[in-house]
Amino acid sequence: MTINSETMKPVTNLERTSAMDAVFARFFRGEAARRLRTFAPLIVLVVLCILITIANPNFIELRNLIRIANSAAVPLTLAMGMTFIILMGSIDLSVEGALSIAAMVLVLLATNDANANDYGWLAVVAAIAASTAMGVLNGIIQTVLRIPSFMATLGVWFIGLGISVFMLGGSAIRLMDNSIRSLALERFLGLPLAVWVAAAAFLLAIVIQYHTRLGRHILAIGGGEDVAELSGVNLQRVRITAFGVAGFFFGVAGVLAAAQLGQSNAVIADGRLFAAVTAVVVGGTALTGGEGGVLNTLVGVLIVTVLANGMVLLGISPYVQQTVQGLMIIAAVALSLDRLRLKIVK
Amino acid sequence: MKDGKTLMNFGEINRRTLMIGAATGLAVSAMPKRLFAQGAPTLVTSIRSLSNPYHAVWKTGAEAYAKLVGLEHVTLVSEGNSEKGIADIKAMLAKTGGNMVLNSDPNDTPDARPIVEACKAAGAYVVTQWNKPADLHPKDFNPNYVSHIEFDGISSGKQIAEILFKTIGGSGGIIALGGQISNTAAIERKKGLEAALAENSNIKLLDFQVANWKSTEAFDLTSNLLTRFGDEIKGIWAANDDMGTGALEALRAEGLAGKVPVVGIDGIKAAVDAVRTGEFACTITSDPFWQGGIGLALGYNALTKKFDPTSEPPEHREFYGKVVSITKDNVEEYYKTNVESQPALDWSDLWDRVTGQIRT
Repeated sequence: MTINSETMKPVTNLERTSAMDAVFARFFRGEAARRLRTFAPLIVLVVLCILITIANPNFIELRNLIRIANSAAVPLTLAMGMTFIILMGSIDLSVEGALSIAAMVLVLLATNDANANDYGWLAVVAAIAASTAMGVLNGIIQTVLRIPSFMATLGVWFIGLGISVFMLGGSAIRLMDNSIRSLALERFLGLPLAVWVAAAAFLLAIVIQYHTRLGRHILAIGGGEDVAELSGVNLQRVRITAFGVAGFFFGVAGVLAAAQLGQSNAVIADGRLFAAVTAVVVGGTALTGGEGGVLNTLVGVLIVTVLANGMVLLGISPYVQQTVQGLMIIAAVALSLDRLRLKIVK
Repeated sequence: MKDGKTLMNFGEINRRTLMIGAATGLAVSAMPKRLFAQGAPTLVTSIRSLSNPYHAVWKTGAEAYAKLVGLEHVTLVSEGNSEKGIADIKAMLAKTGGNMVLNSDPNDTPDARPIVEACKAAGAYVVTQWNKPADLHPKDFNPNYVSHIEFDGISSGKQIAEILFKTIGGSGGIIALGGQISNTAAIERKKGLEAALAENSNIKLLDFQVANWKSTEAFDLTSNLLTRFGDEIKGIWAANDDMGTGALEALRAEGLAGKVPVVGIDGIKAAVDAVRTGEFACTITSDPFWQGGIGLALGYNALTKKFDPTSEPPEHREFYGKVVSITKDNVEEYYKTNVESQPALDWSDLWDRVTGQIRT
C-alpha cells in the first residue's frame, strides 16, 4: 500500500479554522488565549482556593490540606486510569465494577470477619490482579468483538458489581488486617500512606504517558485513529493494554478505598464513576480524545475535591451541592475546549 | 433495612433470575403432596435473601419458633425479585391447600397486595412486615390478614439522639448524617433527631449533611466537617450504621475514634462491635430474630383460633414494633445472646412489643 504523504501531513488546529469564524479568532483564538485555556483549570483551582480561604480561613490550615490530600487519594488513582481511556477517545464505565471487585477480593482474602483467610499483602496483589484482568477483558471485548467501549465497559461494570455483591452476600465485610489498614491510618511525613500511594500512582501515570511508547500511542489513537493505524500503531494491542493499565489503577484505588473504610460493601464504589469522569473532564482532557493528560487530571481531581471540601466548610446545603457540581462540569468543559471550532457536536 | 432495597432490586429485570425463579416455583409444585401433613399447618417465611445477615437472623428466628411449636417450616427467598417472591408464595398456597401461615417481608411495597389477596383466597393466614401500600389494611381482609408490622423511624431517630446527648453530657455540638433526601426512612429518622433537639436546647446541631446511607460518603463528609468545626464536634448522629461506621473511620484517621461518640440504626455487626469497644454510643435494631418468630406466632395463633383477629383493636392490626437499643450497658449481654448464640424468646406474649398504631 502506498501512502500519500500529503494526507499524512498533520493538520494543526489553526489551519483548520475556516474563514467563517475568523471573526471570533481575535477574541478566542489568539496564541495567548490558547495558552490561557491550557492553564484555565489551574487558574480555576487557585481562584477556588483563594475564595474558600477568604470565606473560611480554616481551609488553609495544614490539617485541612492533609484531609483534602487524603480525600483526593482514591479519586486521583481512579482518574489516572480513566485519563488514559479518555485520551484514547474511549470511555471506561467499568470503574465501579472494577473497584468493587478489587475491594471484595482484598477483603475476602485478607484477615476479615467473614472467613478465616489471612493472606496479608498477597491479597493486595490478588485484588489488583483481578481488577487488571477486568480491564484487559474490557479491551478484548472492545477490540475482538468490536463492541464500542461505552457498551463493553457498561456490561463489565455490572458483571463486576454483580460478582462482588454476590461474594459479599450483600453485607459489609470488615477488613481486619492491620498492615493493610495502616495504609489509611499510618502517616509518613504527616501524610497518610494512602496519599503516598496515590502520589506513586500519579508518578507512574506520568511515566506511562510521557516516557513510554504506550503513552504516545494512546495519544495518537485519540488524536486520529486512522492516522495512527496507518503509522503502524497496533490498535488492538494498545487498546487492550490501555484498558489493562486502567484496570490496574482502579485496583489500586479499590485497595485504598477498602483500607480507608476498613470494610468492603456492595456500595463501596457508588458514585466513583461520576467523580472520576468529572475530574478528568474538569482537568481539561477532551472527551473526544487526544488532548489533555495526567497532569490535567491531577488539577481536575484537586478542583473536585477542594470544591466538595469547600462547600462543606462554607455550610452550603447538601441539596445545593450536587447542583453546583453539575454546573461546574459544564463550565469546565466549556472553558477547556475551544467549542467554537468544533464542527460536530453529538 | 428499607434502605437496602435499591441494592436488592438490582437483579429485578435479570432474565436468568426470572428463569431460576420459575424453575424454583416448578420445583416447589413438583414436591409430593404428602410432604405436608394434612392436619398441621405449614409455617412459611418469605424473605429477600439469605446472604444478608439481617434476613439470615430472621430465618433463624422463624426456625426457632417452628421448633417451639413442632411444625414444619419452609423459607422462600425472593432474591430481590418480586415476581419470584409472589410466584413461590402462590405455589406454596396451592401445595398446602391454604393450610399455612405466612410471615412475609414483601420485596417491594406493591407486592403486599397480591400476596395478601392470594392468601385470603386460599384461606391462609398472613402477616406482613416493613412494606405495604398505605391503602392496604388487615381489617379489609378479615380474618386472614392478621397484622402488619413496621418500626417507627421517628422514635428510632429520637432514641439514638437522646442516648448520644446523654453520652456527651447534655451539652455541646453534634453533626448529623442523613440518608437519601427523598427516602421515607431517612425523613422519619431526621424528624426524630429534630424532635430530640427541640427538647435539648443545650445541644447544638452544627450541620446536617446527606451521606445517602453510604459509609464512603459519610467518611468524606465527616472529615470535611471535622475541618469546619474541629473540636466543637462532641458527637455524631447517623441515620444508619453504615454511615456511622464511615464516620467512625474518619474519626479514627484523626485519632478521635472513641473520643467522639457515634450513634446509628440497624444493629449491624460492625456497629455492635464498635459499641463494645466504646466507639459507638449505641445502635438500635428491630431484632430480626423476633420478627422471624412473631409473624409466624401471630398467624399460627389466629389459625388455631387462640385469638380472633377481627376482634383485636386497630393497634394490634397495624403496629410499630419496639426496637432494641444496644448500648454499653447491655452490649455484652446482647453479644452473648445474639451474636455468639441464639436468643431465647418464646413469643408467647403476642403483643408485648407493640408501641402504637402506624401513622397514616
